Amino acid sequence: MQKKLLILFFIAFTYGSFAQNKTDYNADLIPSNLKSRAGAVIRNMETTVDMRTQDNVILYVKKAVTILNKSADERGALSIYYNKSTVVKSIKGLLLDAAGNTVGKFNQANFSDESASSDYSLFEDARIKSFAPSILSYPYTVVYEYEIRYRQNLIIPEWYANPYPDVAVEKNSYTFICKPEDKIRIKSYNYKSSPEESITEKTKSLTWSVKNLNAFKYEPYAPDPDSYLTYVKIAPEQFTYYGFKGTYNNWNELGKWVYNDLIKKRQTLSPAAISDVNKLVEGITDDKEKAKKIYEFMQKKTRYISVQVGIGGFQPFPASEVDRLSYGDCKALVNYTQSLLKAVGINSMYCVVNAGSLKKNMDIDFASMDQGNHIILCVPFKNDTTWLECTSQTTPFGYLGTFTDDRTVFACTEEGGGILRTPALNTTTNLSKRKAELTINDEGDVNGNMQTNVYGSQYDNYERIINEPYKEQLKHLKEAYDIDNINFSDVKFIQKKEGINPVTTESLKLKILKYTPKTSNRIYLIPNIFNKASSIPESKNRNLPVYVNRGYSDEDEIIYELPAGYALENKPEDVTIKTLFGTYEMAIKSDGKKLIYKRKLSINSGIFDANKYVDIVAFFSNINGFDNSKITLKSN
Amino acid sequence: MKCLSALLFFFVSCILNVNAQNFEYGKLTGEDLDLKNIVLDSNANAMVIREFGTSSMRLDDVAGRMTIDFEYHVKIKIFNKNGFGSGNIIIPRRVYSDNEDEIKELKATTIAFIDGKVVRAELDKKNVFTERKNKYTVLTKFTMPNLTEGCIIEYSYRMILPSIFNFKSWDFQSDIPKLHSEYIAVIPALYNYNASLRGGRKLTSDKAELQKNCFRAGGYDADCSKLTYIMKNVPAFVEEEYMTSPDNFRSAIYYELSDYHTWNGGKKNVTKTWKDVDYELTSDKSFGTQMKRKDIFKDILPEILKNTTDELSKAQAIYSYIKKSIRRNGFIGIYSETNIKNALETHTGNTGDINLALIGALSAADLDVDAVILSTRANGTVNTLYPVISDFNYVIAKVNIGTESYLLDATEPLMPFGLLPLHCINGQGRVVNLKKPSYWYDIKASQKDLTRYTLNAELTNDGMIKGQLTTYSSGYSGLIKRMKIKAANSVEEFVEKLDEQMPRISISKHDIQNLDSLDNPLIEVYDIEMKSYDDVNKDQLFFNPFFINRTEKNPFNLNERTYPVDFGAIREERVSIFIKLPNSYTITDKPKDIAMSLEDNGGKYMNTSMVEGDTFISQQVLQLSKPIYEPEEYLSLKEFYSRLIQLQKTDVVFKKNK
Repeated sequence: MQKKLLILFFIAFTYGSFAQNKTDYNADLIPSNLKSRAGAVIRNMETTVDMRTQDNVILYVKKAVTILNKSADERGALSIYYNKSTVVKSIKGLLLDAAGNTVGKFNQANFSDESASSDYSLFEDARIKSFAPSILSYPYTVVYEYEIRYRQNLIIPEWYANPYPDVAVEKNSYTFICKPEDKIRIKSYNYKSSPEESITEKTKSLTWSVKNLNAFKYEPYAPDPDSYLTYVKIAPEQFTYYGFKGTYNNWNELGKWVYNDLIKKRQTLSPAAISDVNKLVEGITDDKEKAKKIYEFMQKKTRYISVQVGIGGFQPFPASEVDRLSYGDCKALVNYTQSLLKAVGINSMYCVVNAGSLKKNMDIDFASMDQGNHIILCVPFKNDTTWLECTSQTTPFGYLGTFTDDRTVFACTEEGGGILRTPALNTTTNLSKRKAELTINDEGDVNGNMQTNVYGSQYDNYERIINEPYKEQLKHLKEAYDIDNINFSDVKFIQKKEGINPVTTESLKLKILKYTPKTSNRIYLIPNIFNKASSIPESKNRNLPVYVNRGYSDEDEIIYELPAGYALENKPEDVTIKTLFGTYEMAIKSDGKKLIYKRKLSINSGIFDANKYVDIVAFFSNINGFDNSKITLKSN
Repeated sequence: MKCLSALLFFFVSCILNVNAQNFEYGKLTGEDLDLKNIVLDSNANAMVIREFGTSSMRLDDVAGRMTIDFEYHVKIKIFNKNGFGSGNIIIPRRVYSDNEDEIKELKATTIAFIDGKVVRAELDKKNVFTERKNKYTVLTKFTMPNLTEGCIIEYSYRMILPSIFNFKSWDFQSDIPKLHSEYIAVIPALYNYNASLRGGRKLTSDKAELQKNCFRAGGYDADCSKLTYIMKNVPAFVEEEYMTSPDNFRSAIYYELSDYHTWNGGKKNVTKTWKDVDYELTSDKSFGTQMKRKDIFKDILPEILKNTTDELSKAQAIYSYIKKSIRRNGFIGIYSETNIKNALETHTGNTGDINLALIGALSAADLDVDAVILSTRANGTVNTLYPVISDFNYVIAKVNIGTESYLLDATEPLMPFGLLPLHCINGQGRVVNLKKPSYWYDIKASQKDLTRYTLNAELTNDGMIKGQLTTYSSGYSGLIKRMKIKAANSVEEFVEKLDEQMPRISISKHDIQNLDSLDNPLIEVYDIEMKSYDDVNKDQLFFNPFFINRTEKNPFNLNERTYPVDFGAIREERVSIFIKLPNSYTITDKPKDIAMSLEDNGGKYMNTSMVEGDTFISQQVLQLSKPIYEPEEYLSLKEFYSRLIQLQKTDVVFKKNK
């Protein structure tokens, strides 16, 4: 009897606070300074990760969020991702009105359950449970708690102190619980103090907490949010993952595990495939030439198809499977290429990267499995290191492009892992060079030839157009050069993939009907037809540094033959603007019959002080003005 | 549907005999090997060589109900690597309350020619994925192995569909061209379906044969109609901008069960006449019953109607109340998902719940209200020849006050009274009344999409233009503006962002009126300053008056158009500029004062500019007076915009008076 009472008491104790909703979530109690720029306020959030065993990690989240207006409705919604190794144990919640009175309840049955497959994947086993509260007057509060069980501890759910810019935080905490003897590595980012620690005989717990964080404004040209947000990452030394077990303390050990446990056994090729690949490179002596031949063979044979199932997120399909089916995702294609290279005695490295146009580094000081989203292959030769993107059927050998350039990556090898850096594409190499010779006739039509060469990060500017049938190319060009009444003919694209600096050349004939309108005695000509820079938005009371992710250079030259009977009346002054962010030059020369327009723009990448933001706005705004400047021709 | 299964319970067994003209799986002809993409469309990356499907009916003995047995077989030539996408196959299946479409006997083969040899690669069963997308859809997904340029892919499967209400439809046209697409529907003579062919293309062959004793059930034999449809040399379907649902234009055949005969000689109509449909709908628990639920509103009506005087104000008050009381849950439909009482209590429902609640409430207030069922733009147009109830996917209210009728949709809280969301503007809808027969009704946008800008400013000696810009937006423009403002955290943040987007213009003061007064135009008043000249004391000043709402790009830049351009509503934009000048000027040159119009009163553009006293005045009006333009009108629309863009490049040239 006593035992029973005790249990009852325990239940009442753990769930009591929730069921009765003792905490007062009256929206009036939100400090007014927190409401500034906030569409919602996290009143209280407690995230607890309890690592009971390696294959039983419980995530327990309690959250109360007040939605202040319609713009933040989605911040009151709840989405929970799960898969075969992630079990949603329970979800329940309450809806409160402005005064904090309970007006509704919800539980797992109110959640929709849908596939979370991303658009680029053929299949993923990820699923999503979601719930959006229906309350029609503001403010309102959503209080919920849920429990998720992970059957692995390789990836521990990370924690962000203020995850959304438009959400202010009253209280938010993160507690990690494990056994006192468990060894874990921790890295907190932008967290001002140390976590509170408490140890009992059976458990050790660490708690990070924040109070009264304001919402913040979205700022353009800002650095990666991870550089200023507060968050915590945890990695246990000993882990279990889909039946695998391992230990790591650093990139070296993690790289060794990835290669030896996940990849190595997946690199067996059939004797036939091995002999085929050796035949392929027969007679070639140079390793780099061999690698190039093999890379091009792989590009021709395979295509990119993403399938993510179970450990498939980290483990490639066997190379023999790719050989047989001729498709695979990034892991599988890199693994296959590596296997082919190995078959002819060329060593290469399987590298995890955080891909995307915005450069993101793997943290050199903190090894963990959750920092990358893509795999590329690094082939070290005697005098240089070549990087291969294996998911594209067209990328030149050794060219990475903006998806993976200039960032640290995690190389996994049999001997151990390490951090490497991919080559940078810089302002001068990211070049677009355009030259056009055009004639303006009496009707105001513009006619002529144009050639554009693009290098570096701009090499694949035409990627979308180049492989299309001719008729489609003409359509796409009309979108790319969005000029009224433009038509193209004799369009040719040539890609020179050889060497260290591949180039795409676009050459074409063009005709723009009535480009230069006439009034009673004037002709108006905007000489910069093809390459106008847009202005960038202002950012008042700027807080964050100014970040320019990638530099580039554009050089344009257009030579116009002017219509007979007209002379230059008015032209903008030549300009040269030099700033921290780059330079701009525009010059117009005319000898009466011909007019030569030249424009040069180069943009520097880098990080600049917040107070320089006004200068970059002025820079682009000026360029935009000059790019749209007009010339008037007057009839003689 | 229930009586149908009950009826079939009597049948003991059923045999269906189809002599389909399928083509042999895996067999290649020399032609297949040599096919080039010059055959039908030189732009094609892949092409269907042959496609065959057949649907027939069978009795599921275990479940005791009729099912549709669909077989599909296709052979596709992949010309180049851009055609590899045709090797990723997704077969959607429907989920019903107690079962789902079932897929069987799936096989797939890639056939390639390598060094003169034919190499076949079979699809591995373990590489076939089943994705349970949401509560209504399951996807069967796979990708073809070993694709190479010039290869052929071939696959076939059977699908068992437990619902015979909609006989399996067939798409003759897809995103790749087809040389030969053939569909055979074998329908027991006991069943009648209404078939409708969509899209502009004609069938190459359309054959109906009688098959004797093809269907055996319950010891009786029945005859079947065997309908064979063939379409050859079908070009790829290419979507265009400003068009309604591609389903309206893509060549396809659709069926809906109209009636069937019972074995004892009786006949059951399923959908035959509108009279039947009217009865079905008005007596349906999820439709008519919900329309009649006045009781729910009895207690709350006095509160909703407390400040109302006439019928119109009553209707407006109820409209606002329903908009505020039920939030849409993302699903649409003509039926109530649960029931309107539940929707009102939980504050959530599908579009059927919301608008049936609206109808119920209006009728509880003794207003004359009908339901109108329609098909949204994304769903395609409805068949007006037969009543095809499954063509409809949306219900709205039509309230009749005096001689006026107002079409109402309460699913969007920012929608003004009487205006329908653009997705509802799609031809005709069917008015369903509880007591009177239903009829067709044209569904049009009730308001012009109107924007009016007025700038009152002066050019100061330091080269700044300073003044007040007032914008009026109504119709869809007003709705879109309101949505943008509401998406911001506050009006201040909206204006701040707007200001930041225009580095050359700064907004020093703002006033936004009628943000929540939805039946009036949204008014934005901004005090603005913009830098225009470094030096205003030159003898000659160039000034471009088209800096407000300028047309930068021609929205119609293609050289041809296949399908109508559908804006949904008529549009009008007006710009009036008054600028006081610092010196005395005369105009020496200016953009032509023009008034141009589209044929058939399709639209017009007018522009005038002048100096009056010390004030420069510019007036610009753009009207597009038709919601829909036919493909033949495309080039004149393009030319119209082109002339507008040319004009807007020219400047006013002021000369300083000495």
